[in-house]
Formats: sequence, C-alpha cells, structure tokens
Amino acid sequence: MNRYSQLSVLFSAVAVMLLSSCVHNPDVPVSSTEVQNTPDIFPDYCDVTVPCNIAPLNFMLSSEVYSACVARVSTPGGEQRIYGKGVKVQIPEEEWHSMLEVSKGKSLRVEVWGEKDGLWLAFSPFEIHVAEEPIDEYLSYRLIEPSYIVYGYMEIDQRNLTSFEERQVFNNKVACDSPKGQCINCHSYQNYKTDNMMFHARGTAGGTIIVNDGKLKKVDLKRDYTISSGVYPAWHPTAKLIAFSTNKTAQVFHTVNPNKTEVFDSASDLILYDVETDCVSVICSDQELLEVYPTWSPDGKSLYYCKSVPLPEDMRDKDIRTTFQKLQYNLFRRSFDLATRSFGEEELVYDAAMANKSVSLPRVSPDGSYILFAEGQYGCFHIWHHDADIVCITLGEEMPLRLDLSKMNSAGFSDSYPSWSSNGHWIMVASRRDDGNYSRVYLSHFKNGKVGKAFLLPQEDPEHNIYRLKSYNRPEFMVEPVEISVNEFSKVFPK
Amino acid sequence: MIQKGKVSSTLLNGSLMAFILFVAYILHFNQEVFYTAYDRSEFLYGSSFFHILFSRPFSLIEYIGSWLTQLFYYPALGSVVLLVIWTFIFFAGINAFKLHGTAKALMMLPVSCLLSSVVDLGYWIYISPVRGYWFSQSIAYLIIMLLLWIARNTPRKCHLLWYVFAFCSYPILGWFAILFVLCLIFIGKPSWRENIGVVLILFAARIWHILLYSNLKFVDVSLGGFPCFETSLDSSTRLTIPFVILGVVTVVLAFCGRYLTKIIVPLACSVACILFTWLFMFNDKTYIDEMRMVRYAEQDNWKEVVEVASKNKRHTASMIMLKNIALMNEGGLLERSFSMGSVAYPIYNPDSVHVDFLEIASPIVCYNYGMFNESIRLNFENAMQSGFSPFHLKSLARCSYACGEDNLLNRYVSHIRHLLFHEDWQPYPISDNLKELVQCYPEELIGVENSDKYIVNNVSMWYESDSKLASEQALYYSMIRCDSGRFWASLRKYVKLHQDASFPKHAQEAYILYMDKSPEEKRMMLPVEESVYVRYQQFWKVLEKRVKSGVKLGDVKEQMHEEWGDTYWYYIIFGTMKY
Repeated sequence: MNRYSQLSVLFSAVAVMLLSSCVHNPDVPVSSTEVQNTPDIFPDYCDVTVPCNIAPLNFMLSSEVYSACVARVSTPGGEQRIYGKGVKVQIPEEEWHSMLEVSKGKSLRVEVWGEKDGLWLAFSPFEIHVAEEPIDEYLSYRLIEPSYIVYGYMEIDQRNLTSFEERQVFNNKVACDSPKGQCINCHSYQNYKTDNMMFHARGTAGGTIIVNDGKLKKVDLKRDYTISSGVYPAWHPTAKLIAFSTNKTAQVFHTVNPNKTEVFDSASDLILYDVETDCVSVICSDQELLEVYPTWSPDGKSLYYCKSVPLPEDMRDKDIRTTFQKLQYNLFRRSFDLATRSFGEEELVYDAAMANKSVSLPRVSPDGSYILFAEGQYGCFHIWHHDADIVCITLGEEMPLRLDLSKMNSAGFSDSYPSWSSNGHWIMVASRRDDGNYSRVYLSHFKNGKVGKAFLLPQEDPEHNIYRLKSYNRPEFMVEPVEISVNEFSKVFPK
Repeated sequence: MIQKGKVSSTLLNGSLMAFILFVAYILHFNQEVFYTAYDRSEFLYGSSFFHILFSRPFSLIEYIGSWLTQLFYYPALGSVVLLVIWTFIFFAGINAFKLHGTAKALMMLPVSCLLSSVVDLGYWIYISPVRGYWFSQSIAYLIIMLLLWIARNTPRKCHLLWYVFAFCSYPILGWFAILFVLCLIFIGKPSWRENIGVVLILFAARIWHILLYSNLKFVDVSLGGFPCFETSLDSSTRLTIPFVILGVVTVVLAFCGRYLTKIIVPLACSVACILFTWLFMFNDKTYIDEMRMVRYAEQDNWKEVVEVASKNKRHTASMIMLKNIALMNEGGLLERSFSMGSVAYPIYNPDSVHVDFLEIASPIVCYNYGMFNESIRLNFENAMQSGFSPFHLKSLARCSYACGEDNLLNRYVSHIRHLLFHEDWQPYPISDNLKELVQCYPEELIGVENSDKYIVNNVSMWYESDSKLASEQALYYSMIRCDSGRFWASLRKYVKLHQDASFPKHAQEAYILYMDKSPEEKRMMLPVEESVYVRYQQFWKVLEKRVKSGVKLGDVKEQMHEEWGDTYWYYIIFGTMKY
C-alpha cells in the first residue's frame, strides 16, 4: 500500500467516524418501565401547537437525573423516526420539516424514554400539534444582559425561525471609538418588512438610524420643543411616518423587593416624525400626565398609546420614588387622518386603573379585531415586574372582551413585550418565566380568540437556553431578513 | 580553548539556573495573584461564549487561554503549566533561531517578557477586558517558535508557502502571524516570489476584516490579539511594554541571535531578565493580602480573614469591610476592630486605575450584610466589564439561593459545575447571622450606590431593629460614621438587647468620647472601666502636646500610632475612612 492509499484509508476512516458522530439514530429501549406522566423535558414542548414551518423543537431531559434520552416521533401517516444522543434530542432540520409538512393540521406523536440509574423509563406520549398557519420567517431581538447601569457587548440579531440561523444586524462596538460602546435599542420595522426600519444608537456619535426604502441615514430627533429625542417607536403601516414617545426616564433599585429594578418616566409625550421631510410634530404633550408606547392600528387610521392616570391630589408634588406604585396607565387611542396628518380627540379604550392595574406596550392584531398589551399592577416597565402578564381584549365592541390567555402567561414571572405575527396567528412575548431574570422568547398559537400553550423559541442545542447569559429584548417579527450589513450600518456614523 | 569553553558552559548553566530559580520564586510569590486571575477570569461553558470569542482574530487562542486559566484554581498547577510552556518556548526558540553555545541564553529574554506580563497587572486584574490573557500570549508564542523551527527545516523553495500559511493563520495567531513572518524575513532574505507573501501579510488584517470580521472595527482586527488594556475609564500603555519588547527581541533574535555568542551573554541576559521582571512586577503586600482576604471571604472562612487582617497594618477600604464582617461572624467586632485597624489607606495604584471597593469586594460585602439585591446589581455592574468570572457566578448563585430563586440558582450552578474542579459545587449554606440581618434591611428605592459609604450609612441605621446582631452592627457603624446622634440611639438599643453582656471596649471608648465632646446629645449613663477613662485622658494630653509643639497632623498620626492606634479615639482623629 503506497503512502497515498494509506492516507486515503485514514481519511475515509476519520470521515466515517465524524459522520457517525453527527448522525445518531438510536433504537428504542428493548425493555422499560412505564411512567404515568409526560416527560419533564426542557424546553416544555408537551402538547403545544406549533407553526408548520418552525425549526426543530429540540429538547432534553435533565442531565442531573437522567443519563440518556430517546424519543420516537411519529407522523399521522405512521412514519416513525427515533432520535437521542445523551440526554438530548436533536432532530435534523430536513427530517423535521418533512414531518411537519405531512402533519399540517394534525399532530406529531412523541414518545420519550429516559435512562435513570441504569433503568429505562417510558413516559406517557405527548403530542405536538402542527398548525396550518406558518409563522413569519424572521425574528429580531436585542441580546443584552439583564444589567443595571453598566452595559457590555450588545447586539441586535435576526433569527430565522424556520432554522437556527442567527445573524447580527448591528452591534454596539463597531461604530464607536469608546471602549464603552454605544447603547443600541428599539429596533422597529414598517409592516414586518425591513426596507423601512430603524433603531437608536445612544452615546458617542449616537442618533436614530433610519432605513428609508433601503437607504440609510442617521438623524437627531431632539427638537427644542420635545422632552428628548425619540424613544419608543411605531412605524405607520403605510406612510413614511414614525410615532415616538419622548421620555425623561429614570432607573432606581429596590433594596429588598424581588422586582429589583424600577424604571419610570418623570415626563413623557408623543411625537410624529416624518421620515421624508425630517419634521417632528407633537401629537400630545399633557403637562401633568405621561403618554407612552404608541402603536398604530393596521389600517393606520388610529394611534393607540398608554397614558397615566392622575395621581391622588396629595401625592402630586411628591417624589416619584414614593408614588411610583400609584402610577398607573390606561389604554387610549386617537384617530389619524393621513391626508392632513392630524389626530382626533383622545378616546379611552381600556380602563386598567379601575381594576387597579396598569397597561404598557399595546399591539393591535393585523385584522384589527384584538389588542394585546402587558399588564401589571403599576408603572409601564413591566419586564421587571413579576406580576406582569399579557392581556388580549377585543376591539370594536362596546364592552371589550378579555380573552383567556392562561395557557400563554406564566405564574409569578414577568411576561411582557407582546407582538403579533403578520398573519395574526402567532403571539410572541418576552418572558422571564424560566428563572425570573433572563428574558426568553415564547410563542403561542392564536386562532378565533383561542390562545395555545406558549413554547420556548427552539434552539439547535436545547442547552443553549440555559447557557446563554443574555436576555432576548424587544422581539419583533419580520417577514424578511435585514439585508444591510453591520459594516454598512456603521458607515452612517462619523469616523 | 578548553578552559574558555568550560567557562562559557558554566556561565550559561549558572545563568540559566539563576533565572530558573528567579522564575520559580516569582511564580511562588504570585500564587495569590494567580488564584485571583482564575477567580476573575471569564470562561463559560456553551456555544454562546465559544461564538463570542470566535468573532475576532486570535480568538481560538484566547479561548484556550481562558480554559487554561481555570488551572489557577490550584495556583501551583497553573504555574507548572506556564513553566512547561515557557520551557518548550526556550528549547523551540533555540532550534528556531539556531542558537548555539552561550547564545542559547538569549531565549531567556522572551520568557522574561512573558513572565513579566503575568505579574505586572496590579489592580488591572479586577477589570481586565483581555480574555485568556494569562496563557494566550505564551501559547501563541510557543506555536510560532515551533512553526519557525519547522519552517527552517523545510526546503527554501517552500518558504513562499509559509508566508501564505502565515496569512491564512492570521485569524488564529493574530499579531503573532505577523511576528512569524518578520522572523522569516530576517532569518533569510526573501526572494522576489516570497516578497509577494510579505505583501500579503502586510494586508492580512485588512483582507480578513473584509472576509471574516466586517462586524468589527478595523482597529480591533489589526494586530489581533495584541493585549490592549483599555476600558471606558482607564488605559495603560505600560502593560503593553513587555509585548512590544517581546516582539522586538524576537525579531532581533531572528536577525542576529546566532551571532551573539560572547561569553558575557548568559550573565547579561539573566541579569537583564531578572531586573526587567522585578521592575515590572506589581509588588505590594497589601495587594496580596487583600486578595487573600477576598478568597477566604468567598469561602466563609472568617477565621482566616481575621488572621490576615491582623497581620496587615495597612488596610484598604475593602480589607476593613471584610475584616468587619469576619469579626461579626467570629465575634469581637466592638472589642477588636479598632485594635486591628480601622483606618483605610488608599490602594497602591501607580497606574491610577479606577479600581476600589466596588470592583474588589463589594458583592461579597453586600451579600454578607443581607443586601442581596445590591449584591446582585454590583455583580452585574462588574461582570459587564470583566465578564462572568467564577467570582461573579458564585456570588450570583449565592444571592439567588438566599433569595429563594431556585431556577436562577440552577442556571448559575450549571455554569459553575462546568468549570474545572467544580463538578460538585454548591452554594454555602445561609448562615444564621445572614438570616437575622436580612430582616433588618428595609425596603426602599435607591439610586446607584457603589461605595462602602452606602453600606456604612445603611447599617448604622439598623438601631431600630430588635436583632442583637443588627444592634451591634448599628452601634459599630455609627461609631465609624462619627455620628453621635446615631451612636446614642444605637447604644440604647444595644444595651437593651445585651443586658447580660459586658460593655465592649471600643464602645466604652466611644461612650467616653461622646459624653465628653457631645454634651448636647441625649445621653445615657453607663459605668465604664477606669483604665479606659484614664487612657482617654492620657490620649488627649499627648495629642494636645504633640499638636501644640507645631508638628504636622500627619506626623502626629505616625508618632501616636504605636501607642494609640488600637483605640477608637485614634480612628476618630486620624481615620481617613470618614462617612
């Protein structure tokens, strides 16, 4: 055998070893003990309804308890596939999508075995219901530690929901000479598309970066007559207009309360920014009350927002640190005439304060029939409030109907930042239900006013959800990826 | 001739031996520093950390360096691994540069640079943004020495491939790839074909920036891996000197190392290396003792904290706070605290780097006073800069445990258990003292409180609590604050809750002082030992005499320290830790 033959044999052997380590299809255990409950898998995908185009729902059993896990996935047509390596079940994307394809409108059956102390346990099977409605292909979020004052590396990423591809949209170091970097936030898209989008970059050479029909510019939204530059944005669905809140925001810390942090506004108004003309006009600027979190109806004819309720007379002049728990927001709207760019009178949509609650972050469903918002006992920054839940009410009825979201909300942990997929069949929230500290993206099916069990954004390695020490902040659906590169974005900043 | 050879051989061996002994001594001297290096260096399990590190040039080596830094959990083990790497560098370098006879001693120079680089950080150790620093530079240098050795043994016609290889390896080797090429150039004059390779490496950073690293600033790609000590508040060029010298020395060795065979070379090299390292090393006993106290405090080993504190006479603010906690747990806060010294000295900080109590000990101190939310916040503030090191992960895990946040605890514990030597790690039990103190900490909203001043002020207000422990703390910190109002309030509560206990010595000292100097306050009558009262009178007599004689207050402080440094009165007159 000459040297080249030896090398090729060696190469083939290594290749076979590598391949065999990548593709692992185990057998189901020959004997096992039946357990009368569904497996305690992480993430919990038992009996969830998922989009027909979602990435594989990889999961695992606890490595503290089990030494191995095997799962058999059966399609409605009877096709069966077996997976499992160690305590993880990771399904190849192609196989998963072919199983989803044949299971649309039906369910996948999943049987799980776990090896514990040398014995195999067979858990009760569970189902994964495959909805006929797909989910928007992309999702973007800011990855940030649940930090306090100091921040580190920050990035806005986009994730393909049909696969595990995650790509950076922008980061806070690339356009900044200071080692501290910028604070980048509030990415927002017009109508789920990315040719009109924006985000803020605060700090050195900061500003609001706006993509207008694919063209980039950096603008300063601060005017003499506004409290601050633009903060929380909402793109008008059809026109080149963005409604912003302008805020004077402060952050303080609880010494004992498990909520740990309070973020509140001491002043806040709404403005309208015309992307084409660079004009800023004031929508509302109540001197006493606080308006925040604007969002448009899908037809662009109404602007919804949250507005604080007047404090009791004896509390009005007091330091907000002593009155913050009395600060509550209701949901309002104003009509909007695109031709004249004028807003109508303010109209109360939902009186949360009457029930001793406070709303934030409203989002109207694409068909205009429902509105989602986060609700807590007080304030408008609910991601730090353990009692915060998502609420969905009907629109267009005299008495709004409150939908049952018990399958989506978590008990005792913050659920915040709700949003609708472009087809209105999927709700996404940023939830701290895993541990109370790190926000993760949860998705729920929505159909005819019924909301399905929330499930965690799938990851290629289920452990990724444990080991990523970052929060998923401001998750936003997109129907297409951001095509502008980080480098191109960085060029709008002065060198 | 034979005699000359013998002399040079003896000189070479002697110099090498002296240098080896010196290296061993320096490594031994810095064992506590190396433990802190482990404790404050980030290495996280999982693809997230892997990918973050892989997003820039030199990141693979940084990742390996970060992993190896865990070996400093046992400082001796990490030191041995460093020694092994440097030994390989020494021999690989001799072969790479073809050094013969006394010229072999020249390889002490790069080793000395690498040694200096791990012992010169000082307080940068708490805020260093460079991941895997402790091993990465040594590993990369070893790799290029081995590559150079191999390159020199390949036919000359293959050298062009080495230039191309250097270009390709830039994402892995960073600035060492350029150093490798420079060595190749100086070892043998490049042919016109090889010049293409030289040109290629000149533009390596620019090309890789376009190809792989467009999400980074160009400046972060050029000279990838060259340690850059820069934070939002501080920057240091001093710490990069060993690497600049390392680069220069390496090129010089490539250029003319083999000709430097004078008999004096070994001696000159060893002297130069020893002097260079000694001058560059951060050498301060308090710096080491402070690290030791932090380590013991992390392990709830309060006895050893007291032991270290009692042997050091120049406490920093962090050491004083740790000593106070240790005395709270071991007993004797009001009997021994001022005897052990409560006057805080500033840290020895030639770089004027912004490091103090916040970075060194604040999360542990807050935790041990039951201020869990504040401890969590301070851990995060620090981790944003230097990463989620074992120190911060363990501290966060302990806070989660104490707060009953089980899922969060599990997340942190999962990370910690993936660190080397931590498979069975679990947080220490919550002490009874801690359970008692938690009840005393009132809920309120606070701003950014990063200093020991906040803790002192806060604890001094615990006199309304019915906890015996809290009343002792309140009394002590009202004394530290020199606040007669809080002192009397605290004393009343302390006496009420400690009716069978004796009146502690330092409390007596404070009592006499406030009776004498703050007559307008609402006082209470308590019996004090006559010896304490007599000593108090003597203290003032001596003080008045010294001050009247025109001696500066600073000098009076020094003169009176020996006799009166163990009293509260000395603290109140000369203490720098006033709140």
